[in-house]
Amino acid sequence: MAFEKDINDARGRARKVKLFAHDIHGVLTANTLFCDVEGNRRYGFWHMDGFGDLSLTANEIKIAYIDTTSIDGEGLFRAKELKLDKFYYPTTDKAAKLEELKTEMGIDDLEIGYLGCELSDVKAMRKVGFAVATATPSTRSKLSPTTSPRPPAAGAP
Amino acid sequence: MGKSEAAEKARNVRFVILDIHGVLTDNTLYYTQDGIKSELFSLHDRLGVKALVDSGIGVSFLTSKISRADEQMGKIYGIPPESLWGSSAKIGRLDEFEKDSGLKDENICYVGDEMIDLGIMKRVFFSVAPADASEEARGVADYITAAGGGKGVVRELAQFILEAQGKWGAFVEQFK
Repeated sequence: MAFEKDINDARGRARKVKLFAHDIHGVLTANTLFCDVEGNRRYGFWHMDGFGDLSLTANEIKIAYIDTTSIDGEGLFRAKELKLDKFYYPTTDKAAKLEELKTEMGIDDLEIGYLGCELSDVKAMRKVGFAVATATPSTRSKLSPTTSPRPPAAGAP
Repeated sequence: MGKSEAAEKARNVRFVILDIHGVLTDNTLYYTQDGIKSELFSLHDRLGVKALVDSGIGVSFLTSKISRADEQMGKIYGIPPESLWGSSAKIGRLDEFEKDSGLKDENICYVGDEMIDLGIMKRVFFSVAPADASEEARGVADYITAAGGGKGVVRELAQFILEAQGKWGAFVEQFK
């Protein structure tokens, strides 16, 4: 359910955000892939998430795509299409990458937002001031002060 | 069967055999205008397989014929080629595996969704069906996942088995 946690607290945290980072699979995609009989793979991204990310950029909030799970570079393909490839970071340690970006931007943890969906996001979600999980029902969303009203690949950012 | 009885059975599991169509996929075939067929798989299940394997529980795919798509998904999920089993005689394949591995029915979990799976589901100690499996498969299953086929069945099952065995916390620890 949307905003099952304290919405006023979440709004207060969101106001401080200067860097908004998110995962790719399970956030921009429904965490699924199509595989054809030849082994070719296809991934579905919800196109209005681009509008969400670009709206933040237009309001001087930096975006970072933090990707540990892309199989064929699909996270980069999407970032390139949105001209956000400069902010695409393939990494195995998301929290360490956030720390690096924090230093580079001269901000603190409370000014970072992070949107994730899985165990691999937990460390990053614990680190930041504003942690958001997709609506996928799971105990992992309980880590977040806010749950997005939309499921992944349906406008989560 | 209640959840606590299912958890009791899950404690014995040492190996999980997964049907593909309707379990790892949503049981739908997607065709392009050129007749190229695709199937939809869940990436949540990649973590489910990792959780099982990292915790010492083996995993195999069992379907009538392993396609190139299944081989690709095996690579993505981290299933070795020798654990991609193509056989219509599912019980015969189980017999062969038990003979080779020394494992017994009591150690095996099978996940299936259709009538072709009923024989093996009745035989193994712990049988599981996705939420949208056939009525017959759900009827014989010890546990029915909340997830439907292709929507994270293995992710959910892995957590259920590992929580029953007291291993989930250790797996999660690596992400903290």
